[in-house]
Formats: sequence, structure tokens, C-alpha cells
Amino acid sequence: MSTRPLAGLRVADFSWFGAGPIGAQTLGTFGAEVVRVESETRVDSLRVVQPFALEPDGSYKTGYNVSGYFNNYNAAKFSLQLNLNLPRGQQLAYRLIERSDVFITNFTPRVIEKWNLRYEQIAAVNPRVVAAYAPMQGLVGPHRDFLGFGAVLTPVTGISHMSGFPDRPPVGVGTNYPDYVVNPGHTVTAILAALRYRNRTGKGQLIELPQIESVVNVLGTAVLDYLANGANPGRGGNRSSVAAPHGVYRCQDDPSSVNSPDRWLAVACPGDAEWAALCEALGHPEAVSDPRFATFADRKANEDALDALVGQWTAPLRAEDAMTALQAHGVPAGVVQNAQDLLDRDPHMRARGYYRYLDHPETGRAAYDGPAFVLSETPGELTAPAPLLGQHTMEVCERILGLSTDEVADLLAEGVLL
Amino acid sequence: MADRALAGLRVVELTDEIGSYCGRLLADLGAEVIKVEPPGGGVQRATPPFYRDHVSPDTSLAFWIHNTSKKSVVLDLETPEGRAAAYRLVLSADALIEDRQPGFLADRSLGYAALHSEKPSLVYTSITGFGQSGPHAGYAYSDIVGQAMGGLMTLAGEPADPPNLVYGHQADVSASIQAAQGTLIALLHAEATGFGQHVDVSAQEAVSISQETAMQTWDLQKRNRVRTGERGMLPVSLPGVGVYPARGGYVSLFVLAPGGADFPELVNWMRERGMAEDLDEPPYADLCNALTMAMLTQALGDPSKLEDLAPALAHVNAGLGRFFASLTPTEAYEEGQGRRLLVGIVSTPQDLGQNTQLRARHWFKQLSFDYLNATVEFPGPPYRLSETPALIARPPRLGEHTAEVLAALP
Repeated sequence: MSTRPLAGLRVADFSWFGAGPIGAQTLGTFGAEVVRVESETRVDSLRVVQPFALEPDGSYKTGYNVSGYFNNYNAAKFSLQLNLNLPRGQQLAYRLIERSDVFITNFTPRVIEKWNLRYEQIAAVNPRVVAAYAPMQGLVGPHRDFLGFGAVLTPVTGISHMSGFPDRPPVGVGTNYPDYVVNPGHTVTAILAALRYRNRTGKGQLIELPQIESVVNVLGTAVLDYLANGANPGRGGNRSSVAAPHGVYRCQDDPSSVNSPDRWLAVACPGDAEWAALCEALGHPEAVSDPRFATFADRKANEDALDALVGQWTAPLRAEDAMTALQAHGVPAGVVQNAQDLLDRDPHMRARGYYRYLDHPETGRAAYDGPAFVLSETPGELTAPAPLLGQHTMEVCERILGLSTDEVADLLAEGVLL
Repeated sequence: MADRALAGLRVVELTDEIGSYCGRLLADLGAEVIKVEPPGGGVQRATPPFYRDHVSPDTSLAFWIHNTSKKSVVLDLETPEGRAAAYRLVLSADALIEDRQPGFLADRSLGYAALHSEKPSLVYTSITGFGQSGPHAGYAYSDIVGQAMGGLMTLAGEPADPPNLVYGHQADVSASIQAAQGTLIALLHAEATGFGQHVDVSAQEAVSISQETAMQTWDLQKRNRVRTGERGMLPVSLPGVGVYPARGGYVSLFVLAPGGADFPELVNWMRERGMAEDLDEPPYADLCNALTMAMLTQALGDPSKLEDLAPALAHVNAGLGRFFASLTPTEAYEEGQGRRLLVGIVSTPQDLGQNTQLRARHWFKQLSFDYLNATVEFPGPPYRLSETPALIARPPRLGEHTAEVLAALP
């Protein structure tokens, strides 16, 4: 019995940046063979942005292969360099798609058309292919060719307007949030469903995932509140309509937290029991009888005072100690962790082995996000680090595309495999 | 009638806030998803906002949005009868999705070990704050705790402010999306081999890849990324990057990023609207022409090189500010993008409800709520499958299918 549930499937990964490559990587983690199509004529920008691995003297390593941003989303893929601007490159793309089960791209329709990779074209080559297109605005519609990636998508989809404090401008959430779970996760969900349909019928199909639709679909109740009630809600800060206190509270600074010494504790008290437990755990049992905070309605009505009080209590405490005390009393509480915590200091993350460490020829040993779902009998595995640009061009051409060494040499000379 | 990708699959879910969206994804794709709920309903059914302020278990928008296309069965797991019915119901299913504290269901004879030994093909998906194993497995969880512990919040907000919560229960949603993938992989495996398994999802892990580059920055460079608010990843403010007030809202610009038109096109636009001011004249014209990715890269490498230019950059930025303040967010978005400039609207819910593209694509779906004598428009599904569409049906009333489902049990 295979312990790699997607073994035998091949993914033609014609995507770039975050959302597409992460989805393809997930399929690879569970056994699919992923061929990442790249070109030095249009290199994935993530290959050339921070964070770079360091030289022994502390300077940044250079080149296409040393970005942790790129590498983290491309583990165990086979990198094929292919210039899709050339007709011969497009022919080889068809040859790869013919031999693949899944096709993934997140280029704009304009680029897809330039490269002759429209669904009708690739389905003519391989009617069994499950083809996922994930452009920002979809394949059709008046905004079809609008530009953007996470940095624009976050404001456009309403996340920026809805996140943060009401008296602050909508600065976004500090990351290109939709790129990392929402869009790749929805893409893979659709691909897996389509693979099940293919198992039953032998038919491939077109999956269109407009990133804007994918993200607005998970924008909580905000848009439904407009559609159903005519409301136009805005930023609510860290508060909740069903818990109080609900927020983050400053704790003692931690100088060993590198360039991020301020420490905060997230707390949510959905009911009176949790509030009483919080007062007890933080050594202020007398506060339970404070009439300002007796019921949920009271705590919401006096929330500024409530937040100030909890903040006073946590201020002298180590965030980890406050968390431990609250959790011992059953109160949902967690340190606002940074990456140093997650990688090096969180005993739970370590015990579960979420991060995987892989030896890469240029970066050295480096951490990768592991699969975020653990399958007890067929656990996913990152079997290799991210590929160097074009590392597998020869191998893919010969083993998968069936070209001879002479043919590959000619294609290299013609600039097709660039 | 269209074929459905997950037709013929029965999924029982014992979920509330964390796992409901997982079940929704499977239900919209055609699985029969039966939600087992406690008498009175769970937290989501009591969560505002409500439809037209009508407070009831059947009118919570928070419940509606994550529970479309499902059936609802009420069972009291605190009684032997309720547990027995739940047990039989789960054994009739291909998959169980649950989001209770680890041990809760095992204590009620519904744990993985018992069900797996009775039905080896069952896929049993557990979605919790911290997963099934490890020293924090028993920790109490809430979405804000998941976002905090998973590394999301430390990156969000202004440096001087407390870390920001990302709106929309994104730790819960991330856990559900990860779980949907894991459940489907396990279902494909079970259909191929006859063997089910336990799918374990921790919300903390589920969101943590959304730290973007923070993890790798620590791993490779032993620096923590911190929240930088409006500046984003830039060490200094540059014109054409960031949030600008518009008339009645905001826009978000990333003009210097690769892929779009360059900064001079923005000046062309301002000129056509009679608002280029002195940006066409020395010394600002040259500066505007130099505002490119190259300067951005230089700024990222050595911000001090930009110090001499700071007053001129501030002058250009002020002009931009006046220009965008003269446009509505939608005007700025549609005209700017029409010029291939990386301009994003900071959409409000109303903007999204009226969004030109979403409307033209008929994305919103009309759902009929017979019991309210109302039709309510819903956001559509995240994807369109040409042969097996994701379809959204009305979320169930509390216990709407109890009699029907239990009567059909073997």
C-alpha cells in the first residue's frame, strides 16, 4: 500500500509568486511529482527578494537560489526552464501538459493567451487534465486584466478595511495574507474534488479561481451583512461581539526576543466563567464582584475600563507565565508569538515537528513550513529542498518529455530552455 | 442537472466555529454534509450580526456564511440516546469532521480509535486550536489565540499599536481550509484502498505559513520581522506605495512594484486631470522618472542613500495625496488599473457588494429563505468548476433534518 496518496500524479506548475506554487507544493508533499516551469526571461520575483541566506561574513548570498521566500513554496519540485515566449517553448509546454494530470497557473489571462495556454488549447492536448487557473480577477469580466498580487488583493478584497483599529487608516495586515492559505488552499480543494470526478468519469475540467472571489468568500459576515441588511461595517480592532475581554494585553518586555522585545498576550473570555477564571488566575479574585464587569453586557459596556484593567494585570508578567496561568484555569490565552518563538521557543510546535529542515546546496540547512494537516497513515513529506533554477531541465526533458540528449542540446542552443 | 464532484459522499460534522467552513467547502462541492448540533445550537448560531436584527438560531449571518448547503440534525451528546444516534450516524458516513477539544468525543464513545476499528474506511478529521498531540494540545482556544500563537498578529498593525487581529476568524478559516484539503486527500486514499485515517489539523499550524517571510527571515538571518503598519516591507515611505485617502474612502498603491506601469504614467494621469502641479517641472520631473523598482531596491538595501532626496520625495508624495483625495476610491481604482498602474481600492463591504467585476460575473447567489419569506443574496463560491460546479444552497434551520436523517439510519 502506498503511503503517498497522490503518488503517480504529475503536476505541471506554471505558476509564480505565492498562491500557485504553494498549492502545487501541497500536492507534491502528498506524493505528486511537480514540475515547476520557470524561465530566466521572466524569473519568479520571489527568487530575487528577501530573505536571503547569509554568507559566513554576514553578507547576503546572491543569485536565484538563495531566497527563503521562494524556496519555502517550492520544496521537492523539479525545475524546468522553458521560454514560453518562443513557439518551440510552447510546444514543449503542451508536451508536458500531455503527460500531466494537473495544470496550475496564476498568471493573468493576458499572459496565458500570449503563451497559448488557454484551457481550450491545453484540453485539446490532454482532455483528462485538471486545469486550475487562479488569476486575481478571473478569466473574464471587465476587470479581467487588472493587476495585482497580495499587496493589492488585501485592500481590494476588504481585508484591509475590516482589520485593525477603527481610528487608524486601513494599512492592511502586514503581509499579502490571501496568498498563503486562502488562495492555495481553495485551489487545492477544487483540484482534489476534480480529481475525484476524474476518477469516476475519466474527464478533466477547467477550474477558475478568481482570487478576489476566493478571498471575499471568507471575509466573515461583512459582505453578507451588506447584502442582507444594507449595513456597511468597518474595522473593529481586536474586539469581539461574543467575548469580553477580547484582545491583546501588554506584558513584560523580553530583551531576548530579537528586535521585537514588546510582548503581548491574546485573551478571549467568551463567558462569565472564563472571566471569573481570568481574575482568579491573575491574582485578582475580588474583581469578579466588580459590578462594572459582572455580566457579558456589563463588560461590553465598560470595555475600555476592562481592557485597561486586564492590561494593568498583565503588564508586570512574563507573557508565557500569564498564558500558562490562564490556560491552567481554562481561559483561551496565547502569546503573540514571533517567528523566533515559533521556530525556536514554542515547545508545542517543536514537539509536533511542524517545521521541516532540509539541506539545500546554496542556502545550507533551512526551515520549511511542513504540511498543515497531519494524515495518520499517509503523512506528507517534503522529500527534497527547493530546486535551483533550471536544476532539472535536462532530466525533465529526457525522462518526462522523452527528448534525446541531442534534441535537448539543440533546444538549449536555441534559447528555448532558458 | 450538473454533476457534482463529491456526489455520493456522506460527511457528518460535529463542528462549530473552527470547523464549520471545512464542511461548507465539501457541501458546496456536492457532498451530503450533516451537521450534528447540540440542543439550542452552538456558538455560531448565537453570534451577531443577525438577519434584520431578528435574533434566533436560524438568522445568524455568522452561522449562515459557514454552513451553506448542509443538513442539520440536533442530538444531545450528553445523553446515552444522543450518543448512540450520533454513533450510528457517523458509521453511515464516509467522513467525520469535528472541532471539539481533544478527548471530548472519545469520552462520549465517538473517538477516532473506536470508530476506526468499527469502520476502517472512515476518514476522521479533527480541527482544533493546537492539534491532537503535543504539550499544548489541551489548551483552550479562540480565533484570536490562534492568530497570536501562529505568528500572524505580531506582523499586523502600526509599530506603536498593539498587534492587530485579522478580521474574519482567519485562524478558524485557515484551519478549515487546511482540513478540507487533508480530508479530500484522505477520502481519495480511502476510495482507492479502503483505508481511512485520522486527519489532525492545528489552527496554530494552519495559519502559520501566513507569516509570509517572517519564518524564513528568522531561520536564515536571525532577525524577527515586526509590524510596520503602512510602510509594509519598505524601510522608508516612498511615493506611490501605501494607503492614500480618497474622496469617501481609501486607495492602496504599489506603483513601484514590478509588473505594472511605471511612475511617470501616474504623473500622466495627474496631468490629464489637471493635477500634476509642479511634478512635470525640475527638479521633480527627473525624480518622478527615477521612481522605479531600482530605486525601491536601493532603498531596501541602504535607506540612508535616500536621505538627501527626502524633502523632494515628501513633496511628490503630498501632490499624490491631493490627487487621490480628489477621486472616489472606485474612480481611482478603475482609472488607475485602466492605465496598468498598481492601484487597489480599499473596498468596504458595500464596495464589494457593488463591485463591477463581481456583478458582471454574476458571482452573488440568490438564496431563498422560505421561513423568512425572503430572498437573500450571498457571496458566491471561491471557485468555478466547469463540469462539477460548486453550488450554494440555503443553510439549514436548527434541527431541520433531524427526523428525516434519523429515520433513514439502518
